[in-house]
Amino acid sequence: MSVEFRNNVQVRGRGERAMMFAHGFGCDQNMWRFVAPAFEADFATVLFDHVGAGRSDLTAYDRGKYSTLSGYADDVVEIGRSLRLKDAVFVGHSVSAMIGVLAAIKDPTLFERLVLVGPSARYIDDGDYVGGFSAQQIEELLSFLEENHMGWSAQMAPAIMGNPERPELGEELTNSFCRTDPAIAKEFARVTFLSDNRADLAKVKARTLILQCSEDIIAGQQVGAYVQRNIPNSKMVVLKATGHCPNLSAPDEVVAAIRDFV
Amino acid sequence: MNNNHPADSDFEDLYENAPCGYLSVRPDGRIDRANRTLADWIGYPPDDLPGMRLSDLLNMAGRIFLETHVAPLLRMQGFFDEFAIDLLTKTGTRLPAIANARERRTDADALLFTRLTIMRATDRRRYERGLIDARKESDELKTALEERLRQERENAELREQFIAVLGHDLRNPLASIAAGARLMLKTKTPEDALRLEAMMQSSVGRMAKMIESVMDLARGRLGGGISVSKAITAIEPVLDQVVAELSAAHPERGIETHFELETPVFCDPARVAQLFSNLLGNAISHGAPDLPVRVEASAKAEMFELSVANAGAAIPEEARKRLFQPFYRGKAHGPAQGLGLGLYIAAEIAKAHGGSIDVASSEAETRFTFRMPLEGALRP
Repeated sequence: MSVEFRNNVQVRGRGERAMMFAHGFGCDQNMWRFVAPAFEADFATVLFDHVGAGRSDLTAYDRGKYSTLSGYADDVVEIGRSLRLKDAVFVGHSVSAMIGVLAAIKDPTLFERLVLVGPSARYIDDGDYVGGFSAQQIEELLSFLEENHMGWSAQMAPAIMGNPERPELGEELTNSFCRTDPAIAKEFARVTFLSDNRADLAKVKARTLILQCSEDIIAGQQVGAYVQRNIPNSKMVVLKATGHCPNLSAPDEVVAAIRDFV
Repeated sequence: MNNNHPADSDFEDLYENAPCGYLSVRPDGRIDRANRTLADWIGYPPDDLPGMRLSDLLNMAGRIFLETHVAPLLRMQGFFDEFAIDLLTKTGTRLPAIANARERRTDADALLFTRLTIMRATDRRRYERGLIDARKESDELKTALEERLRQERENAELREQFIAVLGHDLRNPLASIAAGARLMLKTKTPEDALRLEAMMQSSVGRMAKMIESVMDLARGRLGGGISVSKAITAIEPVLDQVVAELSAAHPERGIETHFELETPVFCDPARVAQLFSNLLGNAISHGAPDLPVRVEASAKAEMFELSVANAGAAIPEEARKRLFQPFYRGKAHGPAQGLGLGLYIAAEIAKAHGGSIDVASSEAETRFTFRMPLEGALRP
């Protein structure tokens, strides 16, 4: 089974350099639909779904391997090697920011620059460190997610298929927006919100841009600032965009910031 | 019609007093407008809600869900229907609800606001939670039942073997005793009678051993494991005794021993002797007859190790996996062979001592090694 099939890898665009986009928890590569096309003229863009999300190969899901972010980072490294990437740009949203950090440490030749959108090295408060969440809140989240996945497969497909407002979302996207097996989604949520990657930040060699939203309740300013302080060659840009998904809510601002950096 | 009463076409009244909650949220996440029904449900004066953040009305799980699931889907498909959400009332209690959300955009695709329709769903959400819990419970029950069924099947299979073995293997020595008894009546000389008696004794011995093994199997498999009563034991005389017994029974076979027993071992001496006797007996029966069986034992630091090695043909890989299963017998078994319980019982004895038995087999030698940790075991 190929890595491309496993992670539903899509390569588009022209250009010597490659730019890889990694989606966060809750969605799939559609997260980048308003951002990635802007770089197709100058870069080979690489999009993929983490195993368990979108159109990835669900049979490749291995509870053991994906019980740590390192397992997801191994996939990023495998995709990079399979495409023979060298000195590429990695753009990771939310939890994939840390997955990119781990991948860049595992194989420093792959990515020369990292763009971390809404990163957090640890979501749960720990002593003086403010992550923004308590362990109990994360447990509540895991239980709450179940209540929102009651009829996931039966419900999502027709909702997207019979979409009256956006006819341009054609047949090919049926069932593909943020589709996740609920059991895997729960495990991914657990891995995402219980990880602690603070000690990894200092090991990053790649030049790093942190894109921080205003009023992001998932990864607040202090969390982004912590990541910036601890990655040696990094800078932070605070976006006017609010919320946790500027790649969807303010794609132009995100595109401009990435363009400046690369 | 009284003018003080609202008309059915009064949309302002329909909005404010609709049987569901209405909420409009601006692109910056702040509430633009909420209707009276919703304000009443969550205990706020209607004028307090505009300007508050939507996330102020949610617990942390709801906020994360909103950011990671609702917002992205809204942006991508313009709507998100039928999601569960808990609203926080002014007093901090929870209002379980089901919501639909829809974006309102300008012709130029700029987001004006997001509208939410909220249905109070306390009972329904409780019912759904119950369904989820019930599904989880039934999944767990299913797993437990399957495991139980597997065990029962295994036990049933074992019982069948048990009966077959008793019927078959006990019949041979029994027949030989019966024949001996018949012949005894016809004996002319005391020497003949003594010879018959010795033969019958040997059959009785074999039967006794089989019954003992079967009892151990029953205790080990169908009960709570083989029973051991441990004591601090000087292990060397125990091993010497077993070697002496088997040497006497097989005077033609060489047994080489090498012991380095520096510390006593906390174990059941009779059971360890039984384990050793089974391993040594096997090595003598299955090893190359012209080459000696080598026994090595050491008790030092944190490990008691006892290994028995013989030359001869290697045990095939496939057979190696099944060696320790009850009633497993190699292909070439003659009538004098045991029940196929020896290694199973030896392994159970090892387990009861917190140890294990490994087998390594090549053309050069076949070696069974019993290892048990000493540190924990020595502590009575």
